[in-house]
Amino acid sequence: MAIRLEHIYKSFGPVPVLKDVDLEFPEREFITLVGPSGCGKTTLLRILAGLETASSGAIYHGAQRVSDLAPGKRDVAMVFQSYALYPHMNVHGNIGYGLKVRGTPRDEIDRRVREVARVLEIEHLLDRKPKQLSGGQRQRVALGRAMVRKPWLFLMDEPLSNLDAKLRVTMRGELKRFHLRLEATTVYVTHDQLEAMTMSDKIAVMDQGVVQQYATPAEIYDRPANTFVAGFIGSPPMNFVAGAAIADGRVEIACGNGARARIALSPLAAGADRPVLLGVRPQDLRVHPSRQDDAIAARVSLVQLLGSEKLIDLSFGDGRELTAQVKADAQLAVGDAVWLTFDPSRLHLFDPDSGRNLRP
Amino acid sequence: MKVFDLIRSALAWLTLLLVTFLMCFPLIWAMSTSVKPPKDVMATPPRVIPQEFTIENYRNLITGKQQYFRADQAYVPTTSAPQHFTSWFANSVIVSVGSTAISIVISTLAAYSVTRFRYRGRRIIPYFSLLGYMIPSIILVFPMFMVMSELRLTNTLWSLTFGYVSITLPFSMWLLWAFFRGIPVELEEAAMIDGASRLRVFIDIVLPSALPGIIAAAIFSLIVSWNDFLFARVFINSIENLPLTVGVMHFFEGVHVDWGLMMASAVLMTVPMAVLFMLMQRHLVAGFGAGAVKG
Amino acid sequence: MLFIVPFAIAALIFMVYPVAEAVRLAFYDHNPLRPDASEFIGLENFRTIFADPLFWQSFRQAAIWTFASIVLQTVIGVALALLLHLPLRGISIFRGLLLFPYIVPTVVIALILQWMLNAEIGVVNWSLRGAGVIDDNVYWLATPSMAMLSTILLNVWKYTPFVTICVLARLQTIPLELYDAAKVDGAGALRRFVDITLPQLAEVLVVVVIFRTIWTFNKFEEIYLLTKGGPGTSTFNLAIYSFEQSVANLKMGVGAATGVVMMMLLFAGSLLYMRVFRFAEDDSA
Repeated sequence: MAIRLEHIYKSFGPVPVLKDVDLEFPEREFITLVGPSGCGKTTLLRILAGLETASSGAIYHGAQRVSDLAPGKRDVAMVFQSYALYPHMNVHGNIGYGLKVRGTPRDEIDRRVREVARVLEIEHLLDRKPKQLSGGQRQRVALGRAMVRKPWLFLMDEPLSNLDAKLRVTMRGELKRFHLRLEATTVYVTHDQLEAMTMSDKIAVMDQGVVQQYATPAEIYDRPANTFVAGFIGSPPMNFVAGAAIADGRVEIACGNGARARIALSPLAAGADRPVLLGVRPQDLRVHPSRQDDAIAARVSLVQLLGSEKLIDLSFGDGRELTAQVKADAQLAVGDAVWLTFDPSRLHLFDPDSGRNLRP
Repeated sequence: MKVFDLIRSALAWLTLLLVTFLMCFPLIWAMSTSVKPPKDVMATPPRVIPQEFTIENYRNLITGKQQYFRADQAYVPTTSAPQHFTSWFANSVIVSVGSTAISIVISTLAAYSVTRFRYRGRRIIPYFSLLGYMIPSIILVFPMFMVMSELRLTNTLWSLTFGYVSITLPFSMWLLWAFFRGIPVELEEAAMIDGASRLRVFIDIVLPSALPGIIAAAIFSLIVSWNDFLFARVFINSIENLPLTVGVMHFFEGVHVDWGLMMASAVLMTVPMAVLFMLMQRHLVAGFGAGAVKG
Repeated sequence: MLFIVPFAIAALIFMVYPVAEAVRLAFYDHNPLRPDASEFIGLENFRTIFADPLFWQSFRQAAIWTFASIVLQTVIGVALALLLHLPLRGISIFRGLLLFPYIVPTVVIALILQWMLNAEIGVVNWSLRGAGVIDDNVYWLATPSMAMLSTILLNVWKYTPFVTICVLARLQTIPLELYDAAKVDGAGALRRFVDITLPQLAEVLVVVVIFRTIWTFNKFEEIYLLTKGGPGTSTFNLAIYSFEQSVANLKMGVGAATGVVMMMLLFAGSLLYMRVFRFAEDDSA
């Protein structure tokens, strides 16, 4: 039973927040809605939960239309960004509240709460009140409250953003494991592209209320649909260089002082003789200490050691900048003259005006 | 769904209107009575919106004209009060403003002191103040009267001005303490590093930040002083020195109770409070939020 | 350091001294018109008041008056706060208007009520008769039970806004996400009110109720200005009893003794209040 969002539009008063969102979430998959603040991802999640209603469009759970159902009737559980734990109930009461509301008998509530608490390793906290817990513990309680009902749809609104960096890394793995254990469909909202990439089966990248691309992480990484997706996913972000496509299937880049680099590419999808935006990830930029044919001449402006890798800032032409990621043992210093080449299979071409990928 | 929401909103609106009307009705009725000519005041059926309007009552109060009531052949004075109304009003203003000024100065200095300096017992002072606030004025009034007698201040406005300090100071102190606690010390430290003396820091930095709290405390003090009855009743015995609260009770003397006049005086007595309230509504709720929800 | 000095002086003269004097007077026979004849009589005043049936009647009436007032203030106050919490347009106007009674001088509302409740020509009786609710005029201020009711009415009218402000302030701090979580958990509107709103309100209500009870028990003007404690002594409370002893009977010592009793009750009440207030403050930390 898949979840379908059909042509969802949402406006708050005169302000449009979601435009024609049309998505299908296969059963039991982990779907992430990712995008910058204000892109509409949280609103979409709330519409899925039933906390907001779409201005137009419909939601289906399988064949059943659920757009008008109250949240309590959708077999949905949600983990909120601020956890929203009931302050005057202890952990046991918090986790069991959904069961209590549904009239589950007391001993069964107790059994299920304890089971979930054991899995989350918070059994020793069952008598405490939320204000006596740390951030990580509160998050587990929020998870427990969602998990104990064994929901069919599991929603999470940036659950890791309030945790410190180290805890976040651990929790990413834990959340994925819980998802697999629950065998539920999970829709996860975050602004962190790394979380999206590492945890999801499919990602919907959103910007300004529109779904920019909906695909698997690999597809999004290797074949971004437009410059927004290309620049948003992947760290450090993709380099964009303006150039012009020429008739013989190559792209010409002005390197300053009249020099031009000509880069060979597989045949273009669009016609020749047009301006293009070249996209290359820092990891795919080759830095050579000696002159190469059809390479861009550049100068090193900054070197940052990341550990096993180095981040090199390069300037070329008349003040244009590129970033390259190389192995840490590369001998490069600020001011060095280098030559840059690209692997043609790792290049992307975008239309400078629309941002659309010209070779999807 | 939309229709249901509309009905619910409409119901809520109606309830609110009804409740507000009931709550405000006494004042509406007073205003209505005060602008009716004497024959309409007692007329039945009573009408909320008068058929005829007159400002006779207000004019009499402000000019102090003696009221007369025609009983058969003779004109009998209704009360002796109207000619003193303006004095009462002035007295109320003087006493309220005076005691508020004193209270605010004292409590501002005290609240600042308690939150910024270290000395023994500074922590209990605010709670001690709160306790003082809870002592009913009936207990304080007679000993205070004796103090005023000793100082030969009875029957003067000074006695009231100082007397009201005793009922306004405690809560002002409590409220301002809560406010000063919320002002970060770093602001003053930054100013002192910039070279300002403590006094300068107090005037240039602290006072402006504490202004909302000071305004709230001032409003509170003004209201309490303006509204007090007991102290004035006990301290003052000559009619010209009375404030409004006790003064208007004199309207009950005399052969005939002139309700129109009384309602007019009630309205005039409330107007300053209403103005104060409207101007400072935001500050009042904020101030209460800081201090009164806990106190 | 020096800043505290004015406060210390003022507190001494205007708070500490009067209270000390009030306590001292309780042990003396003091006629205000003949201050020099004051003499120490130990616990005699206390014996007098505890043996006086009027004292106990006043106490009883004060308790009834306080209880009825507080119950009404709380129920109506909470209801109004809930109403004012709704996201309706223009609601701030209502918030302002409904707070107004709190700042109206007690004298004013007492005067107006005397006029409105006038048995023959007051608007209340006229409206009730016109609506068919009553047949004869009700003597709002001239019969004991009605007078009690009228004074309760005045008290509720004037002080319910205080409860409303406090409750409303609390309502506005409840995070909306709690309601979202409850909705997702499946709780309906009534359930959400009982499980989320009420517990949050309970904290502030306990504090407010205790505070208002202490306050209401010792009120003087709200009753005196409407009924002077009458008819007869049917609306006496301890404050009026004390006043009458000092002013009408010229026995300031007896009045002061009553004041001491009031202070003891007050003290007990405020200890309870402090305990609860500390508790409530820690709870929200």
